[in-house]
Order: sequence, then structure tokens, then C-alpha cells
Amino acid sequence: MISPEIPHRIRPILHLLPSNISMVQILQIILDWSEVWALLIPASVLLYKKQPVLHRPVVFYVRFALIINILIDFIWKFKKVLPYQLNSNNWLYNLEAVGTFFLFSSFFIQLDQPFLAKFKKLVPLLFVVFLFINFGFNENFFDYQKLSSRLLSVQAISLLFYVLCYFLVKVLEDVEVDIFTSDFWIVTGLGLYVAINFFIFLLYNELTIHMENFAINLWNVHNISYIFFNLFIAKGFYEAG
Amino acid sequence: MKLANVDIRLFLVAGIAVMLLLFISFLLIFIFTQRKKLQYQHAMQALNDQQRNQLIEAAIRSEESERQRIADELHDEVGAILASSKLHFHSIKLGAGEYNQCLYDKGRELLEDGIKKVRNISHSLHSAILEEFGLNEAIKHFAGKFAHESLIEVTTRLDFKHYSPIKNEISIYRIVQELLQNILTHACATKIHLTSDYSDSELTLKISHNGNGLTQQRFEELRFNKKGLGLKNIQNRVLFLKGQLNFSFQSPDYHIDIYIPIN
Repeated sequence: MISPEIPHRIRPILHLLPSNISMVQILQIILDWSEVWALLIPASVLLYKKQPVLHRPVVFYVRFALIINILIDFIWKFKKVLPYQLNSNNWLYNLEAVGTFFLFSSFFIQLDQPFLAKFKKLVPLLFVVFLFINFGFNENFFDYQKLSSRLLSVQAISLLFYVLCYFLVKVLEDVEVDIFTSDFWIVTGLGLYVAINFFIFLLYNELTIHMENFAINLWNVHNISYIFFNLFIAKGFYEAG
Repeated sequence: MKLANVDIRLFLVAGIAVMLLLFISFLLIFIFTQRKKLQYQHAMQALNDQQRNQLIEAAIRSEESERQRIADELHDEVGAILASSKLHFHSIKLGAGEYNQCLYDKGRELLEDGIKKVRNISHSLHSAILEEFGLNEAIKHFAGKFAHESLIEVTTRLDFKHYSPIKNEISIYRIVQELLQNILTHACATKIHLTSDYSDSELTLKISHNGNGLTQQRFEELRFNKKGLGLKNIQNRVLFLKGQLNFSFQSPDYHIDIYIPIN
């Protein structure tokens, strides 16, 4: 039964869903799939706004993350149908974290800001060393049970370092015609996303062991911040086009 | 176990809140400092613009007063001398001889030409028509004289209906003068059409010709050229009037559009 409070516009969509589904469950489904549909916002801007060379890593990130997140959500949705070896999406989260880090670090390096320029180029190398040590000795990249909290939090804090460097340089240098440039929107979105999610990534494995329900609910915070992140990227693409 | 769970939860929530607060405060500091810098830059830019406009205004005013001084001197001093010479010339009584008569006639003719030229120069340096009858009449008169002297067909459609005197009309008149002179010298045009339209907020002057004129891009190149002194003068006057000048080519004619804000 569809409750009378639901607006008319939603009703046709609801006919496609099981009849006993509640509003909270609909919202939960929307949030669960946000890692996919949120990326369609910047992807749709890309269809009619040509991006400068500087944005190429971010454009590539949107496409890369869209493919990975579709796979992640399908594996999660059809977990019971898929064979045991293929029904874990944790390694895809790890892969996305590695890809995200390298694409955004190349974006920041390309911005060519003078502050800590050499160190900023060194950070990807340090990240590679970390990947070798962590997945060579401590964790399994294809762990069936859990994603790598360590990898995700290191990725988040490294990107936060780049974001803070970006703002520091901007504060020190002479302002151009506009403060709210296209790269400002992208960097702000990324900064918000990694600032919110650093502790979520860091403690996620611990939470899944001790408080599974809380961990599942907490992922909604990640998903909401991810929607905002994509909105900021879309704004950046729109401004640049 | 329960206590440890609460601790993790608290640690997590506090961690997210602190990170978020730190980032947002960082962002706000960034935006405020940038805004301040931007405001300062705008203020500096406004000051520079003001100083530049004052310099242009001073240059234009001194140029105009110098033109007026030369025009007055030509008219009152040289003109008077020439007129007196003409009178004396007329009083000469010649003896017999065809040769002397011929020289006398030639001399008189040259003297009259000289008087006419001095009067013309004096009038072009300082337009009395502009002062007495306003911009439209001055442009109409100048266009008529220009057509007569240069053998170019000049047509005008000037808005007399909505005309009202505006400040610094002399600068607009000089722009038109300079543009027509440029068309005559460089464009090899045979037809020029000049229109004016007055609205509540703007005067629009349009000049079109069938010669080899300028596009906006070419104008931008030439105005920074040492030889483009006339164009620089035009641009300075437009800046002084806070107006806008556009050059374009719409087949078959070249167009010059001038927009001058009123008040």
C-alpha cells in the first residue's frame, strides 16, 4: 500500500517497488545507490561542458569511479546470486581508494602550486611504498571479509594534505578575478569528503566487528558526503566549461 | 565491552565533528581573506581608473583650450591682418600693362584663398556651431563641409527629435571628426552614412562606409601602435566619456558604433 502522504510524482515509481515498502526504506535504497547516481551528476555536466586539460584526472576519476561503484553496488545487491569467490566487493573499495588517490594527486601536482612542490610529487611514491608494505606484510588486498581501513584512511589523510596545501597557497598568493574558480569547487568538495570520512575509514573495520548495525548506518554519512562531493565536482565542471 | 563500544562511538563522532569544524573554519578563513584581498584590489583598480580618467580629462581639456587659443589667434590676429592686407591690396592703382593686371588678379585670388583657409582652420579648431546649436547641428555642418571638400558622398540621419544637450559634446564631436578624417585618409571610401539616436540613458552614433575599414581586432592592434595616435585619441575620449566603441564588418559595409551614456 502506498501511504497517502507520498507525493503524486513518486507514485508511478513506487509501482515498480514491492507494495509493502516504507518511505524510510525508499530513502535507504536511494542512499545505498548514491555512490552510483551521484556520479551521474558530474558525468552529465561533462556531456555539454568541455573541460580544460587541468581537469583531466578528475574527469577520469568520475568515469573510473562510476564503473567501480556500479560493480560494487551490483555485487552487493546480487550477493546471493553470485558465486562465493565473486560476491565480495571489498577489494573494489580498495581499488577505488588507490585510483582516487593517484588521480587526485596528479590533479594537485598539475596545478603547479609552488608550496612544497617537491614533497607533493614525493607523496605518490610514499603511497606506493605504503601499498607494498601494507599489502605485502599486513593485509590482503583481496580480503573477502573486510575492506582495508588503513588504506582508505591513509588515502583520505594524504588527500587532505593536498587540499590544505592548496588553500594555503591560495591564501598567500594574489587573488585573481574570482575566488570561486572551478578548481576551488573541486578541491572544496574533496576536502569536505575526506575530512568527514577520515575517521569513518579509520574505524570502520573495528566498528563492523563490535557494532555492525552502527557501522552500516554510519555508511549513510559517507554516502551523503559523497553526494555533496559529486555536487561540488559538477559545479567545478560547470564553471570550467 | 559495552563501554568500549561507547568509547569508539564517541571517539568517532568527536573525530568527524573536529575534522569537519577544522575544515570549515579553514575554508571560511580562506574565503574571508580572499574577499578582503579582492576588495582591496578593486579599490586600487578604482583609484587607478580614477587617476587615469583625471589625466585623460586634463589632457583633453588642455588640448581643447589650446585649440581654442590657436583658433582665436588665427581668426582675430592673422585673419585681421589678412583682411587688412586685402583692403590695401584693393586700393592699389595699377598702371597700364596686361602683365601687371594678371599678377594683381593672381595675388588677390591667393589672398582670398588664404583668408578662407585661415577661417576654415579656425572653425575646425573651435566649432562655434557646436557651442551655439549643439552636437547634431555641428555634425551635420561638418558632414556637409567634409562631403564638399573631399567629394565623398556623406549622408546623415540625426535624431533631432530626442536631442538634448549633453556634457562634453565637444569630445563626441572630435571623435566623429577624427573618424571621418581616418575614413578619408585610410579607407578610400566613396559613401559614408552617419546616424544618431538618443534614448533616456544613451546616445548611439553609427558610422558606416563602403571603404576598406577596421574590424575590432585590427583596431585593438592599431591603438597600441605608435602610428595610431588618432585612434589612441579616439579611445581616450571614449574612455573619458565612459562610452563604448565597436568596429565591425557586415558585408558590404564597415561599421563603427559609438555608445555614450547620458548623465
